[in-house]
Amino acid sequence: MPMPDPTKPVELGRPLVPPCQLTRLRFRPDGRVLAAAGCDGKVRRWDTSADAPTELPALDGHNGWVSGLVFSTSALVTTDSWGRLTARDADGRQLWTVETAHAGWARAVAVTADGNLLATGGRDGFVRFWDARTGTKTGEANATADVLSVGFAPDGKAVLAGDLFGVVREFEAPGGRAGRTFEARELHRLDRVQDVGGVRCLLVTPDGRTLVVGGAEPKTGGFVECTPLMIAFDRPSGKRLWQWKGGAPAEGYVTDLAWHPGGYVVACTSGQPGQGKVFFLKPGDAQPFFQVPKPNVHSVAVTADGTKLAAALTNANSAGNGRVRGQGGDYPQNHSPVQLWRLPS
Amino acid sequence: MRPLCTPADHRVSRRRWLGAAGAGLAGLCTPAVAQELRRRRKQVLFIWLDGGMSQLESWDPKPNTPFGGPLRAIPTSVPGVHISETLPQSARVMHRLAVVRSVSTQDNSHSAGVDRIQRGDPKNRGVVYPYFGSAVAKLAGAGDSGLPPYVWVKPMNGGFIYKDAGFLGPRYGALALGDGRPPENLLRPPGLDAAADDERNALRRLADQRYAAGRRPEHTEANSYAFEMAAQLQRRVELFDLSRLPARDQQRYGTHDLGRHLLLARRLLEAGVTFVKVTSYGWDSHGDHFNQALSQHPKFDQPFAAVIEDLHDRGMLDDVLVIAMAEFGRTPRINGHVGRDHWPEAWSVCMAGRGIKRGVVAGATNATGTDVATQPHDIGALFHTWWRALGIDPETTQFRNAGQPLPIAHEEMTPVTDVLA
Repeated sequence: MPMPDPTKPVELGRPLVPPCQLTRLRFRPDGRVLAAAGCDGKVRRWDTSADAPTELPALDGHNGWVSGLVFSTSALVTTDSWGRLTARDADGRQLWTVETAHAGWARAVAVTADGNLLATGGRDGFVRFWDARTGTKTGEANATADVLSVGFAPDGKAVLAGDLFGVVREFEAPGGRAGRTFEARELHRLDRVQDVGGVRCLLVTPDGRTLVVGGAEPKTGGFVECTPLMIAFDRPSGKRLWQWKGGAPAEGYVTDLAWHPGGYVVACTSGQPGQGKVFFLKPGDAQPFFQVPKPNVHSVAVTADGTKLAAALTNANSAGNGRVRGQGGDYPQNHSPVQLWRLPS
Repeated sequence: MRPLCTPADHRVSRRRWLGAAGAGLAGLCTPAVAQELRRRRKQVLFIWLDGGMSQLESWDPKPNTPFGGPLRAIPTSVPGVHISETLPQSARVMHRLAVVRSVSTQDNSHSAGVDRIQRGDPKNRGVVYPYFGSAVAKLAGAGDSGLPPYVWVKPMNGGFIYKDAGFLGPRYGALALGDGRPPENLLRPPGLDAAADDERNALRRLADQRYAAGRRPEHTEANSYAFEMAAQLQRRVELFDLSRLPARDQQRYGTHDLGRHLLLARRLLEAGVTFVKVTSYGWDSHGDHFNQALSQHPKFDQPFAAVIEDLHDRGMLDDVLVIAMAEFGRTPRINGHVGRDHWPEAWSVCMAGRGIKRGVVAGATNATGTDVATQPHDIGALFHTWWRALGIDPETTQFRNAGQPLPIAHEEMTPVTDVLA
């Protein structure tokens, strides 16, 4: 089957409009459902079988923000900022839940390709492994610092955990034995008394040989001026392979990464005021071969067959609009429109 | 401990606590106590979190509400009072603190807001009012320590900051210690004997006199005053050597800027400085706010709780008024780059110590934290509160500016009585 032409993605209608901001988007492996992690503690889903998606019932059961989201072969697994880990079946029924998977923010969750093992990373500095069928903890590793991102190697034998200080640690799964460390410390800066940045997202390429990490090179804390930065490592040797850096300190973080089966990275950024984009980058290229500006993009998702792309944006005029009230004194939340694209063949 | 709570939990249980606390503390509000307050030393520790600390991630959390953000609220040592999970040490000493959750001020810009807040935002009478530190230096005096009455511990550079004093005149300005270092180049060089140093200073004074000729005396006097004050502080150089303190002190406060500076502040208060301001910069979290809060709030929390405990253990909490605040709070609405913007409409101030009730929360915001739901309190009300806590009656005490009487706090405002002992 010919691969879709990635240089000509076609927007599929107007964005979906959930009522809150989103942290993560992911497609089910068959590409027929898109799920979104909400800042209102809900998981939202859309049937994406057709070009015009239809909304499915939202799923409750989380506190704070839903922050980690992944589809296994048979379940939708989510984490939240209060530390909870939950698995649900295709109909949204809860299979199991772990109230305190982490002491505090459970930042991210990943699943092995066979769907049997989960890994979570938390602000408590731990990576924990869970049986995906039962939610039983099967192991843990001390990553020593706030873990912002996790991802499995394709063979499921190792997990990679990126932290606040720009370090990625590889651990044996599920035993937790420490392996190689990858240093990307330019993704972190101590600005006055604020640690800024970190490894915001990571992926391992399907051949297992390349680790790609995303974040930014911070210039300041507070307002957070930072230039998007993506760094690739050769996993077997630990050496750096290539990197891509954005153009200006206001462009912000690389907030999410996805691997397209056509052999390139799909990424997104969020900066200020209101800056952001979705872009496609071939490994080692100096410039993306496709990019489209969109306001404050916080997540991207690609279907396994590479034919659909989704991105969680932020509503227009959401930059620095914290004080603005409506004419009637109303004070609505910002929200994350979800734009879908088809990648035509 | 049940870490999860809702705004309803706060309302019901806080009321219960206030009732109990009110019954127990009512006896303190007697003329004898007021007289004792006036008699005791008057000192202030003023902690300024420049840029604006979020009330929602500190003193007034609204977990699981539309603007509540990702973080949790935690119980404190005061039954029913919950604060953000970013402040676990402050939660532990909450029974020594008072929080006003009904602060509502007028300015949402840093440049104007800092001045308006620290000068008390009085009525415009065409004069520049003093910062609170200068005002306390004037009204409470330097005491008998021989040390400057108003010392400002801050990151980066130091110097003599006369503009804080407004119409009081430059001598009530702040002696700023850059990064907590003592004033430089004042000690007698090792190769210089005392007689030669005296001669050198006589020459300096002569130069000062020649410089003063034809200039406004308040400026030149302030220059000499600042030099003498700095020299006085320099003679107490041991105050600045934190390495002499027990390692446990340094661990309890932290080795970051704010920890070191608050530890120095404790030392300066112990030595008798009347007003110590400690500033921390970089709180203006318009982007990536929640990671900022998780990184930065604990660096306030740790030394703040430590200094409260230490002042209590030394019996100084009855003399030292402690205030932790900024120029405004932060917006409930979360912007597109996951930040909170400036929000003077509804925010919180924490205080403790001299003249302040312990373990109370005054005022409240609505369920989503967007507005004050009780009587709002502008900065003028807080100035009234602080003056009363210091035993200085703002109704009967006035500044004099070239003969013109001026109120020391906005005359149309009244104190937050719920937090006054």
